[in-house]
Order: sequence, then structure tokens, then C-alpha cells
Amino acid sequence: MANVLDLKRRIRSVKNTRQITKAMKMVSAAKLRRAQERAVAARPYAQMMASVIRSLMRRIDIYNPKTGEVRHQLLMPREEKNVLLIVVSGDKGFAGAFNSNIIKAAQRFIATENGERGLNVDIETIGRKARDLFRRRYRAAQITRDAEAGDQKPAEELEGMSLDSELEEKPLVRKRGERSAAIEVTGDHPGMLEKLRFDAVAEIGQDIVDRYISGEIDAAYMVFNEFRSVISQRVVVERLVPLAEPPGEHEVAQAEEPSIEERERAGEAALSAGVSLQEPDTHEADEEAQKFGTADVDYIYEQPPEEMLRSLLPRFVATQLYRGMLESVASEHAARMTAMDSASNNASEMIDSLTLTMNRVRQAAITKEIIEIVSGAAAL
Amino acid sequence: MADQTQDGKLQVRLVTPDRELVDTAADAVELPGRTGYLEVLYGAAPLLTELGTGLVTIHGGGEGNDRYYVAWGFAEVLPNRVTILAESAEKPEQIDASAAQREYERGQKMWDQAREDPAQYERANELMHDAQARMDAKGGNQ
Repeated sequence: MANVLDLKRRIRSVKNTRQITKAMKMVSAAKLRRAQERAVAARPYAQMMASVIRSLMRRIDIYNPKTGEVRHQLLMPREEKNVLLIVVSGDKGFAGAFNSNIIKAAQRFIATENGERGLNVDIETIGRKARDLFRRRYRAAQITRDAEAGDQKPAEELEGMSLDSELEEKPLVRKRGERSAAIEVTGDHPGMLEKLRFDAVAEIGQDIVDRYISGEIDAAYMVFNEFRSVISQRVVVERLVPLAEPPGEHEVAQAEEPSIEERERAGEAALSAGVSLQEPDTHEADEEAQKFGTADVDYIYEQPPEEMLRSLLPRFVATQLYRGMLESVASEHAARMTAMDSASNNASEMIDSLTLTMNRVRQAAITKEIIEIVSGAAAL
Repeated sequence: MADQTQDGKLQVRLVTPDRELVDTAADAVELPGRTGYLEVLYGAAPLLTELGTGLVTIHGGGEGNDRYYVAWGFAEVLPNRVTILAESAEKPEQIDASAAQREYERGQKMWDQAREDPAQYERANELMHDAQARMDAKGGNQ
């Protein structure tokens, strides 16, 4: 049996762990509050964008009456042969099943698309956790930068310019038929979620649109944690391009709901961390945003509606992506808060049981000593 | 809102992907339309326009004139309300002039190296135009 000193040491170590998990929980709670605010603050823009697109689409024919062609490729679904999956995971662990749920959902998606339907899947990861896993599992795509990048440039010309500015501007190009495996990782963006900026997301959005239009991919999906409230997050797979009909509707291809126990657990954690479960009331703002560009009047269009639509649609993809990432960040903090609350509770339980054992051991030692003394005295 | 609109004030909102930056009553607002600047007064005809890069100036909102530098946006004009969606909006005094200068130079370099690629020229042009607009916005403020 362990002696009192060992047990004391263990209790102290568990106490230290509890202190850390408690601190992490409070930090996550604070970050969650901020992330939640950001996610809510970002809503009006996305909604206004969606409603103005819808209104424009009502006013112009999507199909060109003369040629019968769709005016914008982003609105026209086509047969899927190559699909892109964007996996939004977290950068760090200690968030319970947050990352593994995302990865599981992504793998299931890949299994159905690649295994059952026989499609090629490109993977693009956002967040370190997904990158680490998919990098190990699948091959990285061979991507060259721009057609011209292959040209041999004279050495003196290369020397004159800074290398990274050159790389930045050349668009990524992968020629058709260059695929070396059915499933490939085409890119990753670790550390992006830490300081999420719209312009960085917009670049990814533009890249997706470019790839869709050039025919490299036929659809793009995003798997992320949807944040509905502090106690309810779910993993969803959403289609980014081609755009859903009507735009702004979230086309969910796959979703996983949290169980009731998980919700209860999250509710308790939120309560003890002082995070309000009350959703901020955005109903009025939502309604307001939905009216954007849809007033019942004849608008004067400064530019032809088709042209407006052409520049709005690609940006809308970025907005959707941004929303997904903001929600994922909020979900991550919520998941970490719940996980750390559980860890703190478990540590407390462990301390209780260790203290009990320690007291028993101490009592046993005392009893043993008394018996020794008493029997020693009796033997005299 | 209703009482503000009665005395000829426009309700101006400026919304970015991150948050609602401005929601105020104003006398007039200048917009950097894609095809040129336009000024909107109370009672304007309903209008939808794409915005290019430039300054949004809100006259008589809060304290004096409020100016924001926007890069691409979209605006809805209604007789008593103007709503601006801007992909990014910053106050001219926040603009980093040296960063804009660097961007401009990068654009020039791209232009020089674009050779026969029209898309590359377009991108270079865009970059230079954006940088130029930023520098102008900064300069106009001083």
C-alpha cells in the first residue's frame, strides 16, 4: 500500500492540474464570449449580401434568353467529378472531441465521395489539427505556380526581385490530368483562425471560385462546426459552390447533432464559467438585413444587374467561408470550455478519493503503531 | 429613426464583414461608385450600386464629417436610408501610407513582369489603383 507521503504528493499534483484546467476553462469562456460576439456581428453583412443577390436574381433572368446559357457558372450545378473539401479544424487540442469529430466527419465525406461515388477529392485544411492528420494520410498535390513559373528565367532577373512577392502574385495552377492520386491535399492554412481576418479568407474564397470556373473542381464543400448556441454545436458539411438555390440558404449535406448528455454537460460548464446561455436577440437586425436591396421599388441600377451579380457572387462565397470559420472558432472555445470543466470536475473527484485513501492509510498506520505499543507492553 | 427622417436626415449604415461600423443620421453621404463618385441627399431615388475603391464621406453625421476609406462595396440608396456594404473600411488616419507605397511598387513590378498575360496586367492595375486610392485618402486627410 502506498504511504502517506506518496499520496500527499499525488494529491498536490492533481491539484495543480486542476488549477490549470480551471484557468483554461475561464480563458476559453472569455474567448468564447468574444468569438460569439464576432459571429453575431458578422451576420448582417452575410445576410444583406444574400438578400441583394436574391433580389438581383429575381430581376434578371438566370438563363440567357437567346443562348439558353446560365449567366453565371456559380449558379449552375454540374456533374461532379472532382470535389474540394475544406476542413475547418482547430489549431490546438484540449478541446474534447472537437477536432476528432471534424476529422471523422471529413473522413466519412471522403469515404462516400471517393469510395462509393468514385470521385476525386481535393482536401484543403484550415487549422493545424486537420493539416497534421491529412498530410500524413494523403499525398500533397503537385502544384506549380502559374504557367510561366516553369519558364527558365535568366538568373540576374531572378536575383533582382524578392522571391516571396513573386510567389504571392502568381496564381496556383494545377493542370488537369496532373493528379497523382484520387485523394490529394491541395493546401493548408494553419494558424489562420487565431487572428481571423476577412481579407485572408477572401483570398481562399477567390481561389475556390477560380478553381471552380477553370473546371479544376466541380463543387466545393466545407466541413465545420456550426455554432448554434453555447450548448449546441454540430458538425455540418455545407456546399459552398455551386451556390445553393436560393443563395443564402445553407445547404447541409451531412450533419451530426450532439447528444442530450453532451448538451447538459455543456450547459453545466457554461453556467459555472458564467457564460450566458441566452442568445443575443438579433431578430430585429436579422429582419432589417433581409430587407437590404429588396425594397418594393424600382431601383436604378448604376451598373447592369448581371454585372453586379458577377462581382457579388464570388464575394459571397468568401462571406460563407468566413461565417463558417467564425462559427468554428466559437465552437472550439465552447468545446474547450466544456472539456476543461469536465477535467476540473474529474480532478476534484480524484482529489476526494485520494484524500480518502490517504486518511485511511494514515489511520491504519496509527492503528498499527498502537497495536505494536499495546502488544509490546503486554509482553513485558 | 422616424423622427430623424422627417427633418430631412438620411439614416446611414456602413456594414463590414466584421461588424456594423456606422449607424447614424446624416445630411448627405458621398459614395465612391464604381463608375464615379455620387452624393446622396435626403429623398434620393432608390438606387443600387457597386462601389469601387475610395472614400465614403458622411456629412453632418455626429460630429462634422466622417470619412471612411473603402475597397469594394455595395450600396443601397433609399429616399431616407443609405446602407453601405463594404468589404473593408478604415478611417483615413488609420491608413499606413508606407504600406500603401510598398503595395504600389509591388503593382508596378507586376506590371513590368506581366509580359503577355492580360490577367496579370489587370491584377497589377488593380493593385496600383487600390494603393493609389489609399495614398490619396491619406494625403487628403492631412
